[in-house]
Amino acid sequence: MGRVLSSIGTLLFVGLALFLLTRAGSGSPARIVLGIDATAQQIAEFDHQHGLDRPVLEQYAVWITDLAHGDFGRSFVTGRDVAGEIVEALPITLAIVLLAFAIAVVFGLAIGVRAALHPGGMFERLTRLGTVAGLSIPAFWLGILLIRFVAVGLRWLPPGGYAPLSAGWGAHLQTTLMPAVSLSIYYIAVLARMTQASLADTLDSDYVRTARALGLARPRIVAYALINALPPVINLAALSFGYMFGWALIIEQVFNVPGLSRALMNAISQRDFMLLQGIVFLFTLIFTAANLCADLINRYLDPRQRAAA
Amino acid sequence: MPMNHLNRRQILTVATGATASSLVLPSSLLHAQPNEGKTLTVALPSNPITIDPINQLNHDAMILGQTVFENLVENDLNGVLRPQLAKALPTISADKKVYTFELRDDVTFQNGGKLTAEDVKYSFDYLLDPAHKAARRSIFTPISGVKALSDTKVEVTLSEPYGPWLYFLTKYMGIFPVGSREKHGDQYFRSSPVGVGTGYGVFEEWKPNDHISFRKNSNYWQKGLPHWDRLVVRMIPEDATRTSYLLTGKADIISAPPPREFTRMKTMQGITGGSRPTLGGCLILYTNNLKPPLDDVNFRKAIACAIDRKTIGEKIYYGLLDPASVPAPPRGWWFNPDADKELTYNMDRAREYLAKSKYPKGAEFDLSIQAEPYLLDTKDAAIVFQSELAKLGIKVNLKVYEFSVLIQQVIHGEHSMAMQMFMSPGEASYLIQNCLTPGRVLSKSSNYNNPELNGLLQQAFAETEQAKLKEIYGKIQMIIARDAPSLYIGFVQASNLWRERVKNFKVNQGLTIRVRDVAV
Repeated sequence: MGRVLSSIGTLLFVGLALFLLTRAGSGSPARIVLGIDATAQQIAEFDHQHGLDRPVLEQYAVWITDLAHGDFGRSFVTGRDVAGEIVEALPITLAIVLLAFAIAVVFGLAIGVRAALHPGGMFERLTRLGTVAGLSIPAFWLGILLIRFVAVGLRWLPPGGYAPLSAGWGAHLQTTLMPAVSLSIYYIAVLARMTQASLADTLDSDYVRTARALGLARPRIVAYALINALPPVINLAALSFGYMFGWALIIEQVFNVPGLSRALMNAISQRDFMLLQGIVFLFTLIFTAANLCADLINRYLDPRQRAAA
Repeated sequence: MPMNHLNRRQILTVATGATASSLVLPSSLLHAQPNEGKTLTVALPSNPITIDPINQLNHDAMILGQTVFENLVENDLNGVLRPQLAKALPTISADKKVYTFELRDDVTFQNGGKLTAEDVKYSFDYLLDPAHKAARRSIFTPISGVKALSDTKVEVTLSEPYGPWLYFLTKYMGIFPVGSREKHGDQYFRSSPVGVGTGYGVFEEWKPNDHISFRKNSNYWQKGLPHWDRLVVRMIPEDATRTSYLLTGKADIISAPPPREFTRMKTMQGITGGSRPTLGGCLILYTNNLKPPLDDVNFRKAIACAIDRKTIGEKIYYGLLDPASVPAPPRGWWFNPDADKELTYNMDRAREYLAKSKYPKGAEFDLSIQAEPYLLDTKDAAIVFQSELAKLGIKVNLKVYEFSVLIQQVIHGEHSMAMQMFMSPGEASYLIQNCLTPGRVLSKSSNYNNPELNGLLQQAFAETEQAKLKEIYGKIQMIIARDAPSLYIGFVQASNLWRERVKNFKVNQGLTIRVRDVAV
């Protein structure tokens, strides 16, 4: 319960910070909507109509109250319903992030476990090299390379765009695979390193030595050790899931995916405060929820954490 | 074995299996489908915010408004004025204040209604009413009244002679049916204007951040046009992705290719590239004459003479920028080469001007530049500019801002100097009016006010003969070269790349892609 309350507090605080930051910038949405020829009077009218001339805290109170009722407001620039825009774009970003997350978790864990089980071997050395490369390659650059070679060169996949699941699995994967791979490479490296380090530590611990002395089968020992090595990996995976939404910002630009991050970039450049606030608030919600989930999973896996709670 | 252990394994097995199976690609993935049929796909770098013709902001995105809406006259691809919904160019009264248009009698709106003079009057009245907050209303304010003389005859009266207004109609205005605004509301015109224009494309769908599509207007008054069945305008801000869309056939025409890619790609098999000098796309240095050291005319002239425009045009923009030191395009009929020579690149002359200035040992100032490219990326040009001035002992601090912040600075005169691509409708007075005369939105970009120049502009507004106008604009450019109130680097060329399947496409000097005559 305490964890949930602190998450709500985080959301309220981020919402306020977001509000103050958007209003602190010198650009007005009126200039974007009305154009550079707009007079001071037209801008003042626009600000009045949209409540931008009210005190910031009053604007915040109205916004957060509306939000509690599920009303994200209307875009200053396009006039469209912000909730509608989010509902349209969120599944797209989610499809890419979920696929990227799945790729990162599966490959990150598999590589990390194998490297930890064979310390000093060729695979471990290759893993070390590979993870350094994975951590160093910028996702957007990898994305551009994939477009150049896989889409333009080999013509295996389209260079961008998005096909929903309703268009069929084949079409959906055609458009989500390259963005997801670009997004996941960094996190494969991160999770592989963490899994390797955590599992190697656990395999060195006293109870594992005791288990070996008792003659337990190696797969069973590894399974026990892995369960104990997982909590930091799960925490990191949860953080990674949140961060992926941030990186998707770049990836969606590169692959021309009309997701939440594209909408966010446009909201920033067009000074569309309502849309900007709605999307960032949603990102915060996802990030907070991912961390909450990580805590709950860890409590499930680790009786000590359960007892402490 | 406890149940929870089994559950974890099951969960892991299912999760791993599902992920692995999702990575096995069906054979249909091996070949991405190219764009086929009579659908024409255009890719733009910008994200439009409206289709409403009276609120168009971005010249690139004006393809949307110009597909649905038309006007009395239009600028053709060469920038020449010609009739569109009018039968001919207007007759103009002797005092140059009354313009009379005879309308075509074969034009219908997309909703089937016939175009009449009342529709034209209604559209202008709507635009001019301050309550409707049209983005460019201020450039049409010399219009004092519009009268329907008959079903096919319209009279526009100006409060003072102002010839340029005709040139702004294509970009910033459109004709819509009487009562349509009240019936549908502004949001309808902004995002789903079905049936309210006379244009060749009927709005079909707007998928935010992805594409906007139109279907062919089967009842278009120019019989036989357009040649395509569907037009899809995609928004692809990333340069590399936009060019990849073209290479893989997912786009037929792309706008604003990066100059380096343009040079390389236009010779590729299956791709055609074209460029054309714009008459209104100026790379300008907004120079705040009130802020030291830019308050000294000789100092400003020293800077003007230290800009190696030719190198910037050839090496930075691969020939897609024509050097000019005055606010007139070198290929425009009103360009005055004598004025241009006054401030052309010459380091010796730059040193002389600097020595005569209040700052003979050099000085320091900030140059604001735009973070995100519009038409061309200005950052590299700013670095060349910085290094050239360093040779004179002038230190330039580059400050990068997002467009909306930068333009606010310039509008409020908070900048020292700002480099930006200024796109105008390609009319001789627009840039000068907006930046170098008082009471305009960009007046504080220079804070310049010269009665002699203002008087010459008034003369130009009342003149219709090109030879006389050339003489007047020539004098204006001489004044600008003498006072250097703002500095100019050159005029951009509009460039496009398109696939071989696209026929009859020509680059528009006005930058906006025009697809009315294009066939696929």
